[in-house]
Amino acid sequence: MARDLGILIIAVLVLAATCESAVLSPVSESHRSAALELFSPADGSYGSLEETYEALKTFKVLGIEKKHDIRTSSCASVADTLKSTSSALKDFVDALRVNSILKCELNSEAVRGTQSRFKDSLNGANSLIDFYYSIGGLVLLKEQMSEVDVNLGDADRIFRSIKALGQSDGRWRLSSNNPESSNNAAGIALEALAGVISLATPQIGNSLITTLKNDILKLFDGIERYDDGTYYFDEKHVGARGHQSPLSSSASVVRGIAAVAAATSETLNLPGEKILGLAKFFLGVGVPGSAQDLYHQIDALSYLENIRQVLWKLTFFRALYNKAHPDLKIYSSDLDFVAALVRVSTVLGSPAPTLSVRLMQIFVSGSKDASVIDQELKFDAVSGMHVLETLPKNIDVGSYVFSFEVIFHNPEHKKTYVSGGRTRVLVHITGVIKIDNAEIVILDGDRGSVETQKKLKLPGDNTVALSANHLQKLRLSFDLSTPFGNAFKPHQAFLKLRHENGIDHIFLVGNSGKKFEIILDFLGLVEKFFYLSGRYNIQLTVGDADMENSFLQPLGFVELDLPDAPEKATRPPPQAVDPYSRYGPKAEITHIFRAPEKRPAKELSLTFLGLILVPFFGFLAGLVQLGANLKSFPKSTVPSTFAILFHLGIAAVLALYALFWLKLDLFTTLKALGLLGMFLMFVGHKTLSHLASTSSKLKSV
Amino acid sequence: MIKISLCLFLVSVPFFAIICSAFSEDRPTDRRVLVLLDDFAIKSSHSIFFKSLETRGFDLDFKLADDPKLALQRYGQYLYDAIVLFAPTIDRFGGSVDAASLLEFVDSGHDLILAADTSASDLIREIAVECGVDFDEDPTAMVIDHTNHAVSETEGHHTLIANDDFVNSEVILGSRKIEAPVLFKGIGHSINPSSSLVTKVLSASPAAYSANPKSKLSSPPTLIGSAISLVSVVQARNNARILISGSLTVFSDRFFRSGVQKAGSTTKHEKCGNEQFFVELSKWVFHERGHLKAVNVRHNKVGETDEPSMYRIKDDLEYSVEVYEWSGSSWEPYVAGDMQVQFYMMSPYVLKTLSSNEKGLYYTSFKIPDVYGVFQFKVEYQRLGYTALSLSKQIPVRPFRHNEYERFIPAALPYYGASFSMMSGFFVFTLVYLYTK
Repeated sequence: MARDLGILIIAVLVLAATCESAVLSPVSESHRSAALELFSPADGSYGSLEETYEALKTFKVLGIEKKHDIRTSSCASVADTLKSTSSALKDFVDALRVNSILKCELNSEAVRGTQSRFKDSLNGANSLIDFYYSIGGLVLLKEQMSEVDVNLGDADRIFRSIKALGQSDGRWRLSSNNPESSNNAAGIALEALAGVISLATPQIGNSLITTLKNDILKLFDGIERYDDGTYYFDEKHVGARGHQSPLSSSASVVRGIAAVAAATSETLNLPGEKILGLAKFFLGVGVPGSAQDLYHQIDALSYLENIRQVLWKLTFFRALYNKAHPDLKIYSSDLDFVAALVRVSTVLGSPAPTLSVRLMQIFVSGSKDASVIDQELKFDAVSGMHVLETLPKNIDVGSYVFSFEVIFHNPEHKKTYVSGGRTRVLVHITGVIKIDNAEIVILDGDRGSVETQKKLKLPGDNTVALSANHLQKLRLSFDLSTPFGNAFKPHQAFLKLRHENGIDHIFLVGNSGKKFEIILDFLGLVEKFFYLSGRYNIQLTVGDADMENSFLQPLGFVELDLPDAPEKATRPPPQAVDPYSRYGPKAEITHIFRAPEKRPAKELSLTFLGLILVPFFGFLAGLVQLGANLKSFPKSTVPSTFAILFHLGIAAVLALYALFWLKLDLFTTLKALGLLGMFLMFVGHKTLSHLASTSSKLKSV
Repeated sequence: MIKISLCLFLVSVPFFAIICSAFSEDRPTDRRVLVLLDDFAIKSSHSIFFKSLETRGFDLDFKLADDPKLALQRYGQYLYDAIVLFAPTIDRFGGSVDAASLLEFVDSGHDLILAADTSASDLIREIAVECGVDFDEDPTAMVIDHTNHAVSETEGHHTLIANDDFVNSEVILGSRKIEAPVLFKGIGHSINPSSSLVTKVLSASPAAYSANPKSKLSSPPTLIGSAISLVSVVQARNNARILISGSLTVFSDRFFRSGVQKAGSTTKHEKCGNEQFFVELSKWVFHERGHLKAVNVRHNKVGETDEPSMYRIKDDLEYSVEVYEWSGSSWEPYVAGDMQVQFYMMSPYVLKTLSSNEKGLYYTSFKIPDVYGVFQFKVEYQRLGYTALSLSKQIPVRPFRHNEYERFIPAALPYYGASFSMMSGFFVFTLVYLYTK
């Protein structure tokens, strides 16, 4: 047996009372560190005496020995408050509360002064809060100063007037003219009434106490319940003091009941189940984040311990594999590694009385079959834990529900402790699962003959390279067995084929007994694969909560050759775009300008310019050759002036053309040209008619 | 009657003034946050998260999600800048609020943190779907991971996942690296692949899957591997930001304080990454990071300072813009090397990366293309986690005027020469023709 278990690293796990989901642990180190964090005084003192009291009380319950660096400042503030005549009643009470923890040395004169104030206000009190603070103050005085006379002569009257504010459902109103009742007020009233009972001389009549006990029971009838057996007092209405959270009103009620229980020194016979449920509620909050909530939680839990101690079964199933956990010293000799540890403690984490824990039943998780076992756990005094040394024989890797029961050695304890009956715990027994005969095969479609066969090492590195067409099949098979050789069915056995373009196809690998097998007939899958040929990466995932060696393993790839998609085939779905690429900067774009037209070299242009000018010079040379002259230029003054003007005009027109080319625009040019034209017409006419008359004269001569 | 309305007006003026000062373009950080809860116990059990918001100056208004007095707006003005919706099981909101009005709230540029959980109601799922996120339809499904779960004494189904597959973005998750894995226990979701607004911030490992841990699987799960998103964010086009988480527990004090050890790993972290992760994420959602604004968009011809009303093709121009990032209390220069400007008409003709002076000023210069028409200077700056900058400024570009072309082309010298020799010849000819004897 021990050898078989060699590879069975029985592990860890799990717990929780009655309900499988909520896991609650008793008050622990985390509460302590949270308390130190939340109640950290600013500049050596807290904001108010109320806050000081909450911090001190929390520290006290949690057993935190804080250096009393706040003692001096707090005591000074207590003394100041008590001396002052203008302080509110609430401040007096807070001061006395702080004093009850810090035990400051107080001036007894001042204390006597407060006593009379409490009494005065008690006589004139008509609202619940007034009663609460006056009586609370007197009770605190009585505890702290034995010489002060705080006894109430008319206790009965006060009791009845507080009682008058109570409602039939066990809740209370804050004052007679406020019709809304609340659980929070009920807690306050109970505390006040408890105070009256303890201060009363002569004692309060038994009948009144009996009605009070009935009120408490009625109050418990109105308690709210969650499905998992958690009980709490809810607060429906939002009063003048803002919304009271269920935590604060439940805490208030618990405080009240505890005070009544202490004052009457009678058993209240509260239903154990509801007390347990309340404890569950307070623990279910976890570690609260605000100082006030932490105070309410811790304070209420400390009072719950006073009413009836709630036993909290914290169950550990620890891997007691001596190598993995060398710090855990408890393991039995014949079975090296396995032990179930059950720690029983009270809600505040203090040790339980002598008792024994028995494992009663084991259920296979998810089924109703139970194997009845009555096995007592061995108590280890050093660690304070109950140890299940041997697991029953038929337990293998898997999930089970263990049912434990607490049995008190001393029957008296049944009255003071609430244990909550049987506790059912979900236990995962984990182990290394053996994987054998893993292989991947390509089969020929028709005959089923083996085309390619590859052995796989699981878990391990595999890089198979397969190829197949749509007429072939792929078969993956492997065996899974527990260390005891039984079949094991993991929760997760997926075969994943991922195409190059990122489309995943998931298949469940089914089993018959130990053998796991999946056959992919590609002919039937072409549509599902969107007719996408190419490389498909194969990935196998086998995992289970009870499997120590869960793995995700790439196996290699298969190159699929599928037929072309017909026209109507569905398109593959779009794949998610990588967010990083989607947002990156874009590639720069520079505009490509139109290339300038090709032009000849300047030299070429100049050469042709020269060639163009040649005819002009040829023309001039020709004129010289022909003997051109200006002999017939008019000699007389008037015609010669007109001729000169005419030719200057022509030159001006030509110059205007040159200017037009150089700088002028068309409009200026046309304007100038118009003027010049008229001028030219005039002088041209004169010149030409003169020339014509001269030549006609010549002809006629 | 008139007196009464006047009184009302006088009373409401300062009220509106408060509302207006709360959220503005100049101070984009949210101020007033409505926290909707299933149960007031969440206020206490998730107090570290709320406290971190409060210490950062947010004004949290805690309400039960089915509070009959619930209202998001009054007199057409929104009463809140953001909503934290920590009510995964709510079937119907109280008061006048419903899914449509909540989405309208987001559509008007406000922020939302939404946490679902295993028992997520249809209402929550519907809101998530509208935000581009699909939670697993199976109501009993949870994300399970047999290889990346957290070592835990109390959780045996491997639904408590230790995950460190974060989005690689300093603006979303802060500049300090998150060393420890984040604990997650809840439901997974997938994001629409075609949506460019949703980003996975925390994705599951390749071995994860979403299924009911307590029953055997009969068909392959719909959500599997790293396609599962555990926490996603949405950056809407109107700068509204949404955080969607498949778990409410991840915000709880229990997780914030918890240590973490990944299965199969020997390193045990004293504290898991949840607090850092979600606090940083909330800073992003509430616009304490990654909110950009652009001011002083200028452009001018090189050598000039005034902005012209029109450019000519082939002009050289300078373009500059200043970009600032909101740091939660002030506008700080935004420094990046990938700001780009486009000179755009139907498609970008020029796309150029802007140079930066490291003090928020981005500038560049380029030559206008030889195409005329109505162009735009466009800055489309979309980066993961940053609000989108979309600036555009229209400017017409004209072609050369008739007298702006080149006048004296050397290649045309023979033509010029021919004209002028012709003109000179004509002049000489007139003289010779008229006066030769």
